[in-house]
Amino acid sequence: MQDQFQGRKYIIQGIFVLSTILLLLKCIQLQLIDTSLREQASANVIQKINKYPSRGLVYDRNNKLLVNNKAIYDLMVTYDQVKDIDTIKFCKLLGITKETYIKKLNPNFSSVRYSKSKPFVFLKKISSEMYARFQESLYEFPGFYVELRNVRGYMYPNGAHVLGYIGEVNKKKLEKEPYYKRGDYIGVSGIELSYEKYLRGVRGVEYVLRDNLGRIVGSYEKGRRDTASVSGKDLISSLDIDLQVFGEKLLQNKRGGIVAIEPSSGEILAMVSMPSYNPNLLTIGRSRGDAYAELAGDTLKPLFNRAIGAQYPPGSIFKPVMALIGMQEKVLSPDRGIGCRGGYIYKTLRIGCHGHPMATSVSKAIQHSCNAYFCQVFRDVVDKNGFSRASVGLDTLVGHLHDFGLGVRLESDVQNELPGNVPTSAYYNKLYRKGAWTSPFIVSLGIGQGELLITPLQMANISAIIANRGYYYPPHLAKSFKGDTTKIPLALRTRHYTRIDTSHFRYVVDGMEDVVLAGTARVAQIDGIDICGKTGTAENPHGEDHSVFIAFAPKNNPKIAIAVFVENGGYGARYGGPIASLMVEKYLNGKISDRRKYLEERMVNADLNKSYRRK
Amino acid sequence: MALMARRNDSTTRDIDWLTVSIYIGLVLTGWLMIYAVGYRPGETELFDMGTRHGSQMVWILVSLGVGFVIMLFDGKMFQTFGYPIYIVALLLLLYVLIAGRVVAGSKSWFDLGFFRFQPSEVAKFATCLALASFLGSYNVNLQNFKSRAIALTIIFAPMIFILLQGDAGSALVFTSLLLVLYREGMPGILYVFGIIIFILSVLALMFDSSFPILLGIGLVSGGVLINSFRSNRPKLLYLIYGFALIFLYNYFPEYQIIFLGVSGAVFLVLFLMKLRDKRRQLALLVGFVFLVSSAYTFVVNYAFYQFLKPHQQDRLLVWLRPDKVDPLGALYNVTWSKRAIGSGGLTGKGFLDGNITKLNYVPEQATDFIFCAVGEEQGFIGAFAVIMLFLLLLLRILFIAERQRSKFTRIYAYGVASILFFHLLVNVGMTMGLLPVIGIPLPFISYGGSSLIAFTVLVAILLRLDSNRMLVFR
Ligand SMILES: [Zn+2]
Repeated sequence: MQDQFQGRKYIIQGIFVLSTILLLLKCIQLQLIDTSLREQASANVIQKINKYPSRGLVYDRNNKLLVNNKAIYDLMVTYDQVKDIDTIKFCKLLGITKETYIKKLNPNFSSVRYSKSKPFVFLKKISSEMYARFQESLYEFPGFYVELRNVRGYMYPNGAHVLGYIGEVNKKKLEKEPYYKRGDYIGVSGIELSYEKYLRGVRGVEYVLRDNLGRIVGSYEKGRRDTASVSGKDLISSLDIDLQVFGEKLLQNKRGGIVAIEPSSGEILAMVSMPSYNPNLLTIGRSRGDAYAELAGDTLKPLFNRAIGAQYPPGSIFKPVMALIGMQEKVLSPDRGIGCRGGYIYKTLRIGCHGHPMATSVSKAIQHSCNAYFCQVFRDVVDKNGFSRASVGLDTLVGHLHDFGLGVRLESDVQNELPGNVPTSAYYNKLYRKGAWTSPFIVSLGIGQGELLITPLQMANISAIIANRGYYYPPHLAKSFKGDTTKIPLALRTRHYTRIDTSHFRYVVDGMEDVVLAGTARVAQIDGIDICGKTGTAENPHGEDHSVFIAFAPKNNPKIAIAVFVENGGYGARYGGPIASLMVEKYLNGKISDRRKYLEERMVNADLNKSYRRK
Repeated sequence: MALMARRNDSTTRDIDWLTVSIYIGLVLTGWLMIYAVGYRPGETELFDMGTRHGSQMVWILVSLGVGFVIMLFDGKMFQTFGYPIYIVALLLLLYVLIAGRVVAGSKSWFDLGFFRFQPSEVAKFATCLALASFLGSYNVNLQNFKSRAIALTIIFAPMIFILLQGDAGSALVFTSLLLVLYREGMPGILYVFGIIIFILSVLALMFDSSFPILLGIGLVSGGVLINSFRSNRPKLLYLIYGFALIFLYNYFPEYQIIFLGVSGAVFLVLFLMKLRDKRRQLALLVGFVFLVSSAYTFVVNYAFYQFLKPHQQDRLLVWLRPDKVDPLGALYNVTWSKRAIGSGGLTGKGFLDGNITKLNYVPEQATDFIFCAVGEEQGFIGAFAVIMLFLLLLLRILFIAERQRSKFTRIYAYGVASILFFHLLVNVGMTMGLLPVIGIPLPFISYGGSSLIAFTVLVAILLRLDSNRMLVFR
């Protein structure tokens, strides 16, 4: 039979061939042209998980743990993988509302920060307790997973300003340092900030494969691309936590600062700034924002570190420095006596002094803190090149003061340290007109008044310089890294010399010894400890004067140099002297003798807050 | 009874070994892909009967056995018993509706304990045989209505039963046999109508508004009318007018109704002009088609959203309107399937390294979505190879068909080719989002004993018939 439709076989063949070509074209489009599919696929299947290193711990100088790590958790989600979730159970476990759930799951996807196929943070800072409950049911919530974050826990409610805190990295830092990723925790203040690079460690990364339910099923390329995280270095700080706790107790209900330094190394033994706060308040957690707002709004400024940020006129504690410079500039011999007629008088100018025996030498002048004596020494230094050439003399003096770390930053590892103020000839030329000022105009500088401003840290450093008879190490909070040969920065281990001959120091040291033995600060005497000190009373035009005291002990081979500053504390011997001597006793003897318990009690109980609030 | 005792010497020699080779190649490819999909480093053993690749190996051996047994039959027997086999298949389809087992929503499985099978698989080759028997007889001519009706009934009877089981995918496979009817003389115009209806249906669903479809129908109808003008100028003008209207319609959506009105008015003018013409029949026909097709799209769109259940709607919406479908719901499978294939790139990720398929992102990946594993692990080169292997097989079967003296064998061969073609096009097309997701396997490659044995039987019978091509019997 004839097959009249034989020609139709070509049409059928054509249909087969064309359809196949159609399939192949679609293959080409998917596999060779459209790269977005590949990206979407790898974004979902291969997931990058950050491995946050544990942050280095912080110990005190006696190996007592100060700062450790607490685990909190960030709940991450990949939108595209979220399927069939029992939202009621989910929200209940996390203590959130359904509205929050919907809101958190639907951030602004048009922003480059979010992608439906990439994980983003669903809920931050979940406590370990909540995590424990949630984790059991995590498998029921495909698309969700948890990232462990370390936050800080503080073992003592003390040392908040010194230890500092960590927080989320800000935008500026993100732009400057590519290491950081959005959401990273970074040191924001204190040791956490200064030693961020050592403490943070190195973040690791792990690439894992996830199945359709978001479960991790293995490593990508057998882990060849993974990097391990490196834990941060444990820092042994120079702090003596017992001394720190004691200092904060002594200064409670007062405003001021205490800085104690080991002179032979520059290590800061204690750094107290009052009022303070419990560092645990600012650890990362859900309640941190409120706590911070409350502290920031407090009129007593508990967040402000007075030890390095408050600048006061030093008052009489400046006199030993003046004496040393006078001797070095050869305008003052150690046995020079200067009469005091109740003060320093020059023409119509009169700076008062208190009644005291005749200052027959440098030592006696320091012992009795004679204003007239040091005004004269100051004028002799400034007018060394002639009365009309006060600029030259003043700048010589300023040069020495800079050597003492005054008017400049000490470049310590304490963050936000202020330089204080030492006025130069340029300053006065500007203020009065060049040549229009002479030494009597500025003579109050000689007794630590006037434009002179010093931070408590600088005061303690002066004490350390005198204790060392002429040099200092930049005061610092880091001692070493635990179990690690990494050394603290070289700059902190470098001696800074003043240009004062060592020989001059004995007269000043003797005078300071007599201050405690038979001078203005007999209250600071400690049985069996040879302590040298100097009171200061910083004039305060706004109210009661500030009480200042610097000291070091023992006299020979000093172990501790200290400065105490109590705002509105009156004359130096009222609060400064007792607190300083109690600190010294505590540090050197480990305890306060029974004979001086009354003093400790008096200091602890003293409450000056009323006088601050009044203003 | 019908076992062929006389082993014809020519049987082995006359087997089409090229087809056998392609068959073996596809089956082995399938097995490797099934192995790769289930492969877990350190856990997977090559001959573990508890795994899919293990049991597939068993089914491959069983299939080869079945194929060998078929070679022992007398080829004539298939012609003789074409109708009885078909009747048995229909009875099985009926029986499974009553006593069958529900798997994945469709009541289409028999559970024999060691083996589950779908009578719809049997129906495929049974229908091919019945169709061949019918069309192969002397007095049948598809030019006459009665023959057409019977042929269509042979095709649609099993299809309706399978639809009733809830297995729309397998049912649709039978429409491919319309290609056989075409080859045997079914009027081409019917196919043209079918294609137009199909396109109109797709269009009706692709657009929410019926405006663009009406515009299209109007323009095309007008074009048909203008084409009967003698001079060329009006045709050119109409072409410009058409493009301008489409352009304006797209860029000024707020005036769409106006452009629609313009196209309607122009059509009306042309229609009236033609009505006064001598060839008014054309005008009437075009006008009729215009009205019917416009109405048809309305009805389809309305019926689709009104009468279909949401999950049924989704199947088509995934294909035509992915923007309307929940990306984590119905669209999920296709999205991941496309990602798996796309991520293979040119050369693929390598054997056993296809992480998307392996990590269960693509559902049904060993069965209906096995092509993903090919695309992901072997890349475009692998996908190309597999598709070309299929094309080679299809063309070879057509070649075999055309070399037959027996009309029966030719028709059966076309049936086999049509069914394989439909499976290839729809299965591969759906994994790439080209066609709606209809759950049908990729022949020889997808996991599953029931379908592998059925496809093997389909091809084996063809090879047996072909090996007798030199004997003239009819
Ligand atoms: Zn005096």
